[in-house]
Amino acid sequence: MEFKSAEEGRIEKFPVGMRVLAVDDNPTCLRKLEELLLRCKYHVTKTMESKKALEMLRENSNMFDLVISDVEMPDADGFKLLETGLEMDLPVITHSDYDSVMKGILHGACDYLVKPVALKELQNIWHHVVKKNIKSYAKNIGTSRQLLPPSQSDLVPGVSKKRKDKVNDSGDDDDSDREEDDGEGSEQDGDESGTRKKPRVVWSQELHQKFVNAVQQLGLDKAVPKKILDLMNIEGLTRENVASHLQKYRLYLKKIDEGQQQNMTPDAFGTRDSSYFQMAQLDGLRDFTATRQLPSSGLLSRSHLTKIQPHLYSSINLQGMNSSGFIQQGHHQSSSNSANPFGTYHSTLPPRIQNVNLFQRTSSPLESLQFPRSKCSAYMGDFKSIGDRPIGGGFVDSCMSYGSSSTSLPSASTNTLMLQGNYTQPLHTVSSVNQPCIEKTLSNAASPNISVQGLSRLPSQSWQGNLNTTRFLSNSSPLNHAFFPDQVTCAGNNLGDCSSLVSAGNPGGGMQCEPQLLGGFLQNINSLDGQKWEQQNCSMVNNTFGNVEYPLPGDNMVFRENNAARSKGVDESLMSPIENSGNVNSQEYVGKPSTMVSAEMMKSGKPENAHIDNQNQHDVFDDIMNEMMKQEENNGMVSVAARFGFDSFPPP
Amino acid sequence: MDTLIAQLQRQFRDYTISLYHQGFLDDQFTELKKLQDECSPDFVAEVVTLFFEDCEKLISNMARALDQTGNVDFKLVGSSVHQLKGSSSSVGAKRVKGLCVTLKECCDSQNFEGCVRCLQQVDIEYKTLKAKLQDLFNLEQQIVQAGGRIPQVDI
Repeated sequence: MEFKSAEEGRIEKFPVGMRVLAVDDNPTCLRKLEELLLRCKYHVTKTMESKKALEMLRENSNMFDLVISDVEMPDADGFKLLETGLEMDLPVITHSDYDSVMKGILHGACDYLVKPVALKELQNIWHHVVKKNIKSYAKNIGTSRQLLPPSQSDLVPGVSKKRKDKVNDSGDDDDSDREEDDGEGSEQDGDESGTRKKPRVVWSQELHQKFVNAVQQLGLDKAVPKKILDLMNIEGLTRENVASHLQKYRLYLKKIDEGQQQNMTPDAFGTRDSSYFQMAQLDGLRDFTATRQLPSSGLLSRSHLTKIQPHLYSSINLQGMNSSGFIQQGHHQSSSNSANPFGTYHSTLPPRIQNVNLFQRTSSPLESLQFPRSKCSAYMGDFKSIGDRPIGGGFVDSCMSYGSSSTSLPSASTNTLMLQGNYTQPLHTVSSVNQPCIEKTLSNAASPNISVQGLSRLPSQSWQGNLNTTRFLSNSSPLNHAFFPDQVTCAGNNLGDCSSLVSAGNPGGGMQCEPQLLGGFLQNINSLDGQKWEQQNCSMVNNTFGNVEYPLPGDNMVFRENNAARSKGVDESLMSPIENSGNVNSQEYVGKPSTMVSAEMMKSGKPENAHIDNQNQHDVFDDIMNEMMKQEENNGMVSVAARFGFDSFPPP
Repeated sequence: MDTLIAQLQRQFRDYTISLYHQGFLDDQFTELKKLQDECSPDFVAEVVTLFFEDCEKLISNMARALDQTGNVDFKLVGSSVHQLKGSSSSVGAKRVKGLCVTLKECCDSQNFEGCVRCLQQVDIEYKTLKAKLQDLFNLEQQIVQAGGRIPQVDI
């Protein structure tokens, strides 16, 4: 399976070479797991120590793609490893028995393997790596709608399909809007697409000015769209445009009215007849016009706005931005086009009007500034539903950009529809109200389309340099040491020494059978070193565990180097199944010292141990047996350990 | 006319089958054999060696724990037998694994005598298996040395 990386031409053969960290304190299981993973062509690092694994993980977070770990390990809790892996966003798979499955999953394991694990189970684990990478990829790209470029989308077919559709949609919209634009420069790139295809009319300052003029001329209650349209005499403007704008304007005025009522003293606003309202409006507007000279440096931040009339501001927000209040924007033209003409505008207004303006500020850009939605970024989406607008300040931004973008516009008497295709301020910059957004308008055109920086988050990158799947092999013991007890870790005792001792014909000194007490076993375990052990126990070892110390023929011993000569021929007795090992052992464990057993075994010629002895026709053995016979009197209690043949000599 | 190689091969096959039929080995052992190839020619022997070492170590641990009369650490016994169960199942030591299950139960119920008895049996069982596998490997060796090929035995 191939997994194309972002960089063209670099084809990684994922999951080949996937880097797995295998952790298990059981060497048997670990070795088998390693081999299975190697068979799957993964790159394997194994360790028996959980601590070491943690070290490796922490040392380099990018060293592994996947962790497989046992959960019950002596040196550290397997779940700690799991948690660390999760922190690093690594998929961790538990490898234990069935009972640990739930625990593993609850601790966050992405999967579990039950011992013994089969090859085919391991052949699929790579999908966890892919899943994780997709997730982190999506997370990094961000919550704003990011699109996979079409070339990338092949990699994650399920995920990208939806996004691909969006790309197509917005692409179409872009095209159609582009056709309609005959004003401003670049279009807004937007992945947000409404499915609007018709061109949006942007109510620029000039346009609105004309509108207002027309309305005033007609009188508000007489202002019908048709007439307004005629008066405005704007090419391309439709009656519908005007109608909707008028509706919003009326709403705006109503809002103003309400706002005024909240702040006006009763006597000042005893009545609410529309004419008074209109006058107030006009007055307000006139006041606004009077304050044409806006301080160039005045920037009103959103916080400032809210400070002015925070409660009103927020109340408008709550009620939804459906007020179509619209400040005279004509005066803005003469402004210095500071970043926030509206803001500064606000600051100069008398308090009463300021309230109104606040509302206007918040609402007008939304409705009256009809930026082509299809081109807008996600921010633009907010324009669709005024009621959803969470932040009034955002409007200020749009105002800002709007205001600033109008610098290039001729003053009032423009006949062109101001299609504000250049508003692209992304949502996340709403908070930075103070920023002059002149530059932003065009440059932000591409902002929503954050370019996909390749599949840096996908495993492909991690495969770098790992294609040489060098096997990380442990120090596997050479074959001729297979079954060689000196590999055994416990008690440091070396049966090999014993048997070599045997073959060397050195039964050693006193062959006492120590009192076979339970405690004796432990004492023996602790106190014995190689020498002592050999002296005391080698014979017993040889007899009791003769079958363990299985001497092998030939030099190239599979199990034992130093074994007694054994016939090369196939001994029939070997082939017969051991049926009476039970008998042998029952004799062994009936309470006699184990030395007796071997003697009996010798006598009875039982296949299990007997054939060994038969095979080991060593002179040494004769000596040993003789000495053992002497010890028949030494009947002691048989400890638990002794019953296993662990008496007097430490476990091999 | 039965050549030595053919004879050996037949014995190898028969012995292998008998081990399976008597429950000494199960399909996991077959899996082990499948993992052995040119890249890891001694894989089975290696893993089996590790297993028997495991057995010795864990059984001694358990014996030691059980030796502490009046203060038997059943938890230790339990974790040891858990380990042993894992490794025996991994290599396909069927009888050993079965006994481990029983031993685990005894341990969970803190049945001292039961644990001791079970442990004995585990000990016997693994040694038996060890002997048998040694025989099997020896047969393989003999076949190879005689110039023959180790037959693939399908159970």
